[in-house]
Amino acid sequence: MRVLSPRRVALTLAALTGLLLATGLVGTVAGPSALSVPDVISALIGDDGGPASDIVLRVRLPRVLLAALVGASLAVAGVLFQALLRNPLADPFVLGVSGGAAVGGIAALSLGSALGWGYAAVPPAAFAGAVVTTVVLYAVASQDGRVSGTHLLLTGVVFNAFASATIVFLASLAGLTEGASIFLWLIGSLSAARADVAGWVALFLVAGLATALPAARNLNLLALGEESARQLGVDVGRQQRLLLVATSLMVGAAVAVAGLVGFVGLIIPHLLRLALGPDHRLLLPASALGGAAFLVACDTAARTLLGGRELPVGALTALAGGPLFLFLLRRQHRRVFAP
Amino acid sequence: MIGRRLLLTLLLGLASLRSFAEPGQALPRVVSLNPSLTAILLALDASPALVGIDDWSARTHPQLAALPRVGGLFNPSLEGILALEPDLVVWVPSAQQRNLQQRLEALDVEVLTLDNITLPQLLDSIERLGARVQREREARERVRAIRAAWTREERRAARGPHPRTVLVLQRDPLFVVGGGSFLDAMLRAAGAENAAADFGEAYPRVGVEWLIAAAPQLIIDAAEGPERARGHWSRWPSLPAVASGRVVTVPADLVTLPGPQLDRAVALLGRVVRGEDVGMAP
Repeated sequence: MRVLSPRRVALTLAALTGLLLATGLVGTVAGPSALSVPDVISALIGDDGGPASDIVLRVRLPRVLLAALVGASLAVAGVLFQALLRNPLADPFVLGVSGGAAVGGIAALSLGSALGWGYAAVPPAAFAGAVVTTVVLYAVASQDGRVSGTHLLLTGVVFNAFASATIVFLASLAGLTEGASIFLWLIGSLSAARADVAGWVALFLVAGLATALPAARNLNLLALGEESARQLGVDVGRQQRLLLVATSLMVGAAVAVAGLVGFVGLIIPHLLRLALGPDHRLLLPASALGGAAFLVACDTAARTLLGGRELPVGALTALAGGPLFLFLLRRQHRRVFAP
Repeated sequence: MIGRRLLLTLLLGLASLRSFAEPGQALPRVVSLNPSLTAILLALDASPALVGIDDWSARTHPQLAALPRVGGLFNPSLEGILALEPDLVVWVPSAQQRNLQQRLEALDVEVLTLDNITLPQLLDSIERLGARVQREREARERVRAIRAAWTREERRAARGPHPRTVLVLQRDPLFVVGGGSFLDAMLRAAGAENAAADFGEAYPRVGVEWLIAAAPQLIIDAAEGPERARGHWSRWPSLPAVASGRVVTVPADLVTLPGPQLDRAVALLGRVVRGEDVGMAP
């Protein structure tokens, strides 16, 4: 393991912050309409209520902001779930929290039209679904105040299967337009992004980071195994409970806003682990910044590539992230196993 | 209790249909798997031929609630269809249903596949469907009425304004009418310039940014929940249509259903485009 000097932490985080700012800048300047850079700058300086300000301030900026927050939340959640469950395949959706959120959101989508709700009912319903799932998961998987990783993982897998069955059931009852909405929501998209929900996602991201960063050293010890961590003085049960709840809420908020944007929570943590090493003191903040930059870049591509037409960002994250990840994995493999 | 009443209604409905269908005329027993085709059959006064419909048809045409249903658009039940002993199953082609078509044909059930994307396809569907249910005359009249309304609107539109227009099918996520469909043709007939006509796709999903940059002078909103249209569009005051109060909601089942009512639909769009009060500003 490479030594984690303050200088290395500062340099790495500064580089990633620069990357995030750069993608944010490109995301603000680029779009399907032919706004020039001076147009964008003047819209940023003064809101005259014209089309340029609407595009820059009310379409592009909220999306860049929300993509950054959702990307950061999913990447941090990925790191935490991988550490807590000590399973490299864990992603933010592994525990069924996303499934619960999806059931809530899709119930609102498919029943909402009958009850006269708009699309606005979807995020609160999805978040409620995530919270209910979290509570149920712990009730089922905990014993004497302790949760076992395997037990939790299995409960999550079963719950996810149950949730997808419910979604298929709801979708098969839905009409054509709701059916299309459900399909798009499951892929994940930021097209309905509004600045007013960004605050909620930010709140849970900050709470999640505030819980996780002080626990980074304990997470490193947890990698040695639960027993070893306990012998080294970590209150494993308490740590797990706290982090699992914080992470679940963070995922719930992200899914509620953007639907199921896959791969960010799996690829970004592994990618950064390959590049920076497994120390959570660096990995956690780096994943937040890296995940944010990655999703901002993908979302900018999603709304620019096809002119005025929108691509679902969830499809792009998988398309862009998959090959990149495999390439890095292969390079790492060669480096480690080179003769 | 409710179950029994439903069953009774169902049986009565079936019985009445039988009594229409049986005496000598030998109307084919038709199962419709698409609301637009169901609408055509109703408009041609051919409902006695209908013995079963899909769930969406039942939602769009409450007067047919008593008819047996054979599933949704994407998951019609083969057994449910066969149980109705149909002579003819009519539908609009889709990938999901291709397999079902082969299976039905293997069981000697005739399947009539009718496209409904463009206006010529739609008019052809009306005539072919009419011919199969002994309503040739009604079908010809319906097609003539739609063509006449179309020509009338085109003639009026030649003198009138040609506002840049977007016809919205769904607000969130945003789906609009692109190029090539009967709705695109209808917008043009009504005198509107379809701002999304350049999209190759019939019903593209677009970003709000595209809409703002397209700067439509008229937004025709056919999305679900017309009462929510005002709140939605007021978020984008820089849209010329919003600034000048030219956002008009229209009922989806009248305007966007590829059905037999397109003469009324094109007339309504013509009035909307000319800025006449149609009593539907959100």
